[in-house]
Amino acid sequence: MGIENEGLSTAESLRKTRTYGQVRCHNPSCMGRLQPERGAKQVKCPVCGCEFRVAWVKEGFPRIRGPVWDVNKRIAEEAFERKMKEEK
Amino acid sequence: MEPMGKVLAITPEKCTGCRLCELVCSVFHDGVSNAARSRIKVVKWESEGIYVPMSCQQCQDAPCMIVCPVKAISRDEALNRVMVNHDICIGCRSCVAVCPFGAMGFNVIDRKNFKCDLCDGDPQCVRFCEVKAVDYVDANQVSLAKKKAAAEKITAAQRQAVALASESH
Amino acid sequence: MALDRKIAYIDLSTGKIEIKPIPIDIRRKFLGGRGLDAYLLYNHTEKGIDPLGPKNTIMVSGGLLTATLASATARTHVMAKSPLGGMVGSCNMGGFFAPELAWAGFHHLVIKGKADKPVYLWIHNGKIEIRDAKNLWGKTVTDTQWAIREELGDDDIKSLVIGPAGENLVRFANVMTGIKNSGGRTGMGAVMGSKNLKAIAARGTMDIKIAYPREALEYNKRFIDQITSAKVNQTQGTLGTPFIWGATNSWGGIRCRNFQYNQQLYCDDIEPEAIDEACTETIGPYHMTGCFGCQVHCRAKYKIPTGPYAGVYDEGPEYTSQGAFCGEPDCRSLETLLVGNHLVNQFGMDNLETGSLIAWAMELYELGILTDKETDGLDLRFGNDEALLEMVKRICFRKGWLGDTLAEGGLIASERIGKNSFDYLIQVKGVSNLHSDERATPALALNIATASRGSDHLRSRPAIDLYHLPVEVMRKIYSSPVPYDGPLSSEHTEYIGKPWQVFWHENCYMAVDCLGICKYHTTFLGATLPNFEDWSKVIYLNTGLEFTPREIWDIAERCNMIERLFNLREGLKREDPYRGDLLNHRYFDEPTRRGAPDVVGRVIDREKFRKMVDEFYEYKGLDKEGIPKPETLKRLGLDKEPSHLL
Ligand code: SF4
Ligand code: SF4
Ligand code: SF4
Ligand SMILES: [Zn+2]
Repeated sequence: MGIENEGLSTAESLRKTRTYGQVRCHNPSCMGRLQPERGAKQVKCPVCGCEFRVAWVKEGFPRIRGPVWDVNKRIAEEAFERKMKEEK
Repeated sequence: MEPMGKVLAITPEKCTGCRLCELVCSVFHDGVSNAARSRIKVVKWESEGIYVPMSCQQCQDAPCMIVCPVKAISRDEALNRVMVNHDICIGCRSCVAVCPFGAMGFNVIDRKNFKCDLCDGDPQCVRFCEVKAVDYVDANQVSLAKKKAAAEKITAAQRQAVALASESH
Repeated sequence: MALDRKIAYIDLSTGKIEIKPIPIDIRRKFLGGRGLDAYLLYNHTEKGIDPLGPKNTIMVSGGLLTATLASATARTHVMAKSPLGGMVGSCNMGGFFAPELAWAGFHHLVIKGKADKPVYLWIHNGKIEIRDAKNLWGKTVTDTQWAIREELGDDDIKSLVIGPAGENLVRFANVMTGIKNSGGRTGMGAVMGSKNLKAIAARGTMDIKIAYPREALEYNKRFIDQITSAKVNQTQGTLGTPFIWGATNSWGGIRCRNFQYNQQLYCDDIEPEAIDEACTETIGPYHMTGCFGCQVHCRAKYKIPTGPYAGVYDEGPEYTSQGAFCGEPDCRSLETLLVGNHLVNQFGMDNLETGSLIAWAMELYELGILTDKETDGLDLRFGNDEALLEMVKRICFRKGWLGDTLAEGGLIASERIGKNSFDYLIQVKGVSNLHSDERATPALALNIATASRGSDHLRSRPAIDLYHLPVEVMRKIYSSPVPYDGPLSSEHTEYIGKPWQVFWHENCYMAVDCLGICKYHTTFLGATLPNFEDWSKVIYLNTGLEFTPREIWDIAERCNMIERLFNLREGLKREDPYRGDLLNHRYFDEPTRRGAPDVVGRVIDREKFRKMVDEFYEYKGLDKEGIPKPETLKRLGLDKEPSHLL
């Protein structure tokens, strides 16, 4: 008991107080809060539709690892076409 | 249970090699930044990424205490530490030579030996080491087995370190 | 006392060494570290000298707070005229050298001339000796350091060294210390090499008296808590700088295939988590290491798990190596990343410049501007891992036509290659851009365009602009220690308010560089990290010197202006594509194609960019051409430079 607490570093103890379970969408102006299902490998942003691969630092602590390539690549290509058309 | 005080517990594999412990130890005791004055020293095998913080073990049957010809070294049971009385010490350096951990230092500027005094119960190295490679744990609350394991770890790491030293550069 | 550390003038041509104190009024004007080095550079070099000739002067320094209690006071700074772009050359590295130099009695070294044979400096408790480096010449970065320890019989010696790249005068050779602490970017290793200076070894046991030891300890504890409690530093302490890759590549801020794309696709194997796994497998769960005094410990330790280098130990790879060996050349293998990182560490060569130039050459090869003739048969396609690593070696040893050409840096190489190769060279002031793509982030684009040492993110990058901080929070940060009531925007795609942010960060980073503190301990990647107010306290508690936050800001502004004066003297012109505050035309002409939906389709708007530069110049007190107004120089006390006070 006592010992375990004494062994914690500031960083370690602070990590305990953090709200885990949520990540932010990587689409910069979206930045929607995403809450992946426990243990899920992927998460989809309900706002902008981007999908991300999730890495679990530990149980209850997800981190976005990267995009779901095929999905976000398609979204980007569509957005590009649309914007290029708008410019003309 | 008999009061055993606290012990400095070192876990070398956690050490990041930052030497903050050396800095704060010298500032706390001497008011200066000077790693050469630190009571704790991080021994490094940089080409392998191995760092072993070394400090006084506050030995029960302390070789330094036994070897001292004028009995300047004694055990302070209250804080579970081995202390040098500089009024008695003649500066012969026998203790420096005999300490198996190199934990008894000799300061050529002040011509005095120096060693870890556990900062009178608030070890600064522990306070500043975020990763807790050095920790100050209550001996009363540590089971004997755990203490043994910790001690074994330290000596194993030291053995490994010595072995590495002889093979690398 | 930190204040009694000395400055030494070393003439390698004559062997003369002169040691002087650093007067307090100089400290009050330039603090130390990079700021004082900039003053020395301006005062100890003549206009138009050859950066690789004996008339260049190289400064090596610790900061005012080196080895004292201010979180991580580990940084070493090296400065000279850059052989890469001819502007300010400057590099800054962590590790353990600067503290050792300070314990040996010195804060600044001013090294002139050229030794007639390879030498190294041995600095030990107030004494400096020039020693024969015959046995060190030709050795790699780490071998050189271990050989010095053996020769001098002391394992606690810390050395700054050059590797083969510095000896071969590769114009972007690094100064290195430890396994991988790199003084990178502007070729300071080549300047050392040109002077036949292989290394600087230091060992010291001289006290640095702390002005208020107990208070300094207590404040340092708070300082460290403030730093390590930041989420960004906790992530950094777990995954190292590669963690930045995750989000940045995901939203589309990584250069890929030189400048064709702003994201590398399908690169799962080199993502931070993948690197972390490799480190855990080869080293163990505790595989992070740090610089002197640092509790962030952002550097990973690893052994190369596979291939011909299997089992070799190294540190890193940093975020920059992911860009250099993966993003830019579009290679996706972890082994390539780890080996590439190892090669540049051992050669002492800038990873960013190396990766960037090879990616440029790959694009030229794809376009037919370079052919098999120039590459000596090397199939320099994007994504060819073997060709990438082979090219790294050829550059270091100047092997083959292209190896020798790229070793000259982008500006000279583009002249040699000819055709329209320069159009594809992603550089500012002769220094290749790092691997980030700034087309969606005007603030970051302004930063690299105006950075004093050429395209660079560590001079003034408002990285926190990407966090979409609420305006109130931004207001708090950016209106201290000088008031600012102009516009601010949380949108990173915006142009308004950005010039002030870049100006603020320019002064912030100059101040940490003068103090010798690491940038991860200031408002760089984390919004809640220390800056001017906190430094005012740590300077006082450690040295007894009193500076208000505003005074520190003024010093930083002065030091930045000295760097500007140097660049102007050496030919900086606002819109000169070679030596200007300008970006490659592709930033303005080619829209981004990948990344998050609101990032694609973006370019930097030429007109708005010009306006940002105008505004930035105004804050700095420059005219429209980027030249300081007389009243600015007067205000900063620089109207009589060079003043030769030191
Ligand atoms: S402070 Fe901790 S991590 Fe740093 S060197 Fe000392 S024991 Fe190792
Ligand atoms: S100085 Fe050495 S011998 Fe003496 S108590 Fe400490 S570790 Fe034991
Ligand atoms: S407990 Fe105190 S005296 Fe002992 S090594 Fe740690 S800081 Fe130094
Ligand atoms: Zn979204």
